[in-house]
Amino acid sequence: MGLLTILKKMKHKEREMRLLMLGLDNAGKTTILKKFNGEDVSTISPTLGFNIKTLEHRGFKLNIWDVGGQKSLRSYWRNYFESTDGLVWVVDSADRLRMEDCRQELSALLLEERLAGATLLVFANKQDLPGALSKEAIQEVLALDEIKSHHWCIIGCSAVTGENLLAGVDWLLDDIAARIFTAD
Amino acid sequence: MLGYIWQYFYASFFRYWLKWFIRQVTGKCELQRICSGYKPGATRTTKAEYSLQSSKNKVLRNALQASSDDLEQCVDQIMQEKNVKAQKDPRFKESLQLCLFQITGYKSLYASVEDLRKEVFDSEKLEHETMLLKLWDLLMPTVKLESRVTKQWGDIGFQGDDPKTDFRGMGLLGLINLVFFSENYTDAARQVLFHANHPKLGYSYAIVGINLTEMAYSLLKSGALKPHFYNTILGKPELQHFHQLYCYLAYEFDKFWVAEEPESIMQFNHYREKFHSQVKAQLQDPNVSLTLTVHPKN
Repeated sequence: MGLLTILKKMKHKEREMRLLMLGLDNAGKTTILKKFNGEDVSTISPTLGFNIKTLEHRGFKLNIWDVGGQKSLRSYWRNYFESTDGLVWVVDSADRLRMEDCRQELSALLLEERLAGATLLVFANKQDLPGALSKEAIQEVLALDEIKSHHWCIIGCSAVTGENLLAGVDWLLDDIAARIFTAD
Repeated sequence: MLGYIWQYFYASFFRYWLKWFIRQVTGKCELQRICSGYKPGATRTTKAEYSLQSSKNKVLRNALQASSDDLEQCVDQIMQEKNVKAQKDPRFKESLQLCLFQITGYKSLYASVEDLRKEVFDSEKLEHETMLLKLWDLLMPTVKLESRVTKQWGDIGFQGDDPKTDFRGMGLLGLINLVFFSENYTDAARQVLFHANHPKLGYSYAIVGINLTEMAYSLLKSGALKPHFYNTILGKPELQHFHQLYCYLAYEFDKFWVAEEPESIMQFNHYREKFHSQVKAQLQDPNVSLTLTVHPKN
């Protein structure tokens, strides 16, 4: 095998990314996934277990894992940590009562060793709903400014209208690509 | 490729020549041959539906869009158009009318189901709240609900403290199905709930139910349920028949899940797909009837 082939192979492998989407139940993870993939989002029911979608975007092959967020499923989240390049944390911006629960779950995740290298994108979802907290307010409640261990970014979005989903994913891809391709 | 070409020529030309030829020989039009050649059920109604759909005659095609009140008149018009004499073929009118009741009934059933699905569960509406509390009482007759928002909802398989966010895309339809099963097949529903609360093989009863409502809804929408309804309901299918089908799915899925012994709830989508394929395969059988074998309590 020549050097060129090895390089090509590595490059090919690098263009594949694994994204893990987590968050409390009813945050909108499946809706984001389906909307991003151009599917109908009007008949979604709660996720039991997980959904996986492989899609091409900007020349990258994205493997997106969407794991159910209900309390009894959270202990299974760890089974999906391995070799995650990007963590997408989805927040229901209108669910003020569970913001503390949301903060705790996220900060516990960030301590996970197997997620240590992953880039964090926080989607402040449901911005279209009246009573939704702004992304600045969520940044504060979730104490994102204290995160030193991961690259992170918060983006206000609406999975139903599709607003800002692309912007979020593009930021995530750029950050991961910069990390992977220019690391050495 | 050749198959497509043949299909095209057959549907656009040969079918008409063939029909014309057989009509000359037998003296009966295609609809008459369908109605007299098959007994009431999916085969007959599906063939009649295809025949009407692909007809060049507007009267025949329009019959598929008619409301149930106008069907008798539609059949009369068709008989006139096709020159069918009631004296010669006395059972034709009744047979075709039944087919049309089933065909147009399926469409209006879908419309009613869609209306319920689009109705969002609303805590402000007394009717919705009453229905939700009724579900609890039916499933947990010996346990009192401590408050409206409580962790107890998890005991019947909702995700959090307040079930309202779990109905999502299935809206009120999801709740009505859950209540219908618990009310009409109380013992079966409690047995399913008992399995769902198994420490190892368990699953979330209510949200699996909402997922199965989604399955029933998408089968209805795609037309896959036509043979089932054409075989089991000799008339216009109503909402309750759709709820019955949900009961069948809820009961059968539980049996399937218990028999498959999945590793954990994380495998749900895999087994859901497997079950879905099984149901779709059953629906390929022209004699299909997806009927619950346990008897309703009333």
